[in-house]
Amino acid sequence: MPEHLTLETVDVDGTVRQAYEDLPSSTRRGLLQRGLVAGGAVAAAGVTIGGLPKLAIGAPGPAQDTKILNFALTLEYLEAEFYTRATASGALSGELAEFSRIVGAHERAHVAFLKKALGAKAVAKPTFDFKGTTENQAKFAATAQVLEDTGVAAYNGQGANVTKPILAAAASIVSVEARHAAWIRDINRKLPAPVAFDQAKTQQQILSAVTATGFIQG
Amino acid sequence: MTNITDEKTLPFTLEEVDKDGAIAEAHETLERFADSRASFLKKAALATGGVIGGGAALGALASPAGAATSGDVAILNYALTLEYLEAAFYTEAGRMGVLNGPLAQFARVVGQHERAHVAALKKALGSAAVASPTFDFKGTTEDATAFRQTAQVLEDTGVMAYAGQAPRVASNAVLAAALAIHTVEARHASWIRHLNDAPPAPRAFDQPRSMEQVLAAVGRTGFITRAPQTTMPGGSPRFTG
Repeated sequence: MPEHLTLETVDVDGTVRQAYEDLPSSTRRGLLQRGLVAGGAVAAAGVTIGGLPKLAIGAPGPAQDTKILNFALTLEYLEAEFYTRATASGALSGELAEFSRIVGAHERAHVAFLKKALGAKAVAKPTFDFKGTTENQAKFAATAQVLEDTGVAAYNGQGANVTKPILAAAASIVSVEARHAAWIRDINRKLPAPVAFDQAKTQQQILSAVTATGFIQG
Repeated sequence: MTNITDEKTLPFTLEEVDKDGAIAEAHETLERFADSRASFLKKAALATGGVIGGGAALGALASPAGAATSGDVAILNYALTLEYLEAAFYTEAGRMGVLNGPLAQFARVVGQHERAHVAALKKALGSAAVASPTFDFKGTTEDATAFRQTAQVLEDTGVMAYAGQAPRVASNAVLAAALAIHTVEARHASWIRHLNDAPPAPRAFDQPRSMEQVLAAVGRTGFITRAPQTTMPGGSPRFTG
């Protein structure tokens, strides 16, 4: 098996192809002071491709923060729903069940934090179709690994595009995504840390990869 | 199956890792370390005019588009010092030969990563790079149990250290490198926690730590026995074993 799975290669049987509370108070204050709830409601119900907000990257600022936070929120919605459904399906046992339960709680906490930060400008949760990957242990394990590695690359790709208070919050989330990625990799008998430097991915790269899964219905 | 619960927390601190009483002398070490670093960083900033040369490529990472500020030089040297410590720890542990199985693989792979981080940071800093301190790991590289406990604390500390500095970085090139390293440290932390039967991801949000908090914690270990020597640019970590 390839050491570095991609979203495309996860889908072994072809179906996919078809198809706040814990943050430091200073960070929380910074987010609130930035007035994320104010300003132009650019991405709220804006242009989407495959359910993900489309970004046009410029200099960091409040409006761009809103777009990127909604990009992050959509990815967190996807992860949270994936684990929530996987746990509910009853298909997981042993450490995978434990992984899904704990990581699901983290992703739901990330969703809650991002929604709170965005206030009225938070995008709504898309509808998802996980193509059976939440109902089968092997597919779940492979998909979780790709989702978590993708989450790391997505956050790291936006670090320079957000204002510093948002970066501080994102830094507290991205390392948790990296912990999840290493954990599921170890369970999957892959190297938990396959490279010395994690590669960032652009919004467009993430968008293409997620869209290709067909997990987001709209 | 490992026994992982939300409630389980880190069962020891950096202080407790240091079991042989060297803590008594650690405060002095920290003060020497901090004083030397402060004066060095001031000199480095002055000597370079607060700027790193335009060729400061961070390994195979981001293009070195922006010149680093004096603040970025200080942050990079801080990161370099922590990476020197980690690299020396794993290299020494590997040489001691007391690790087996998955723990040996962890030390080998993570040691390679930490040495790559050292090389990238040194390359980015060029002549402004601080030299390696001298280390005494107080037996933690010579015993598998002490090694695994210490590794967990070092990696968790690395995560908190990078998280604390990311919002303070000015240059986008430096930030890209810091983020690329930050998440690898988090992977290491998760990996050793899994090996230690501790929760790999104990909370939904990792906590940042300031430079002062991290340096104080590192100082209390007594692992750094001699502050970085500014007269020896580009020096390699030396080992005590």
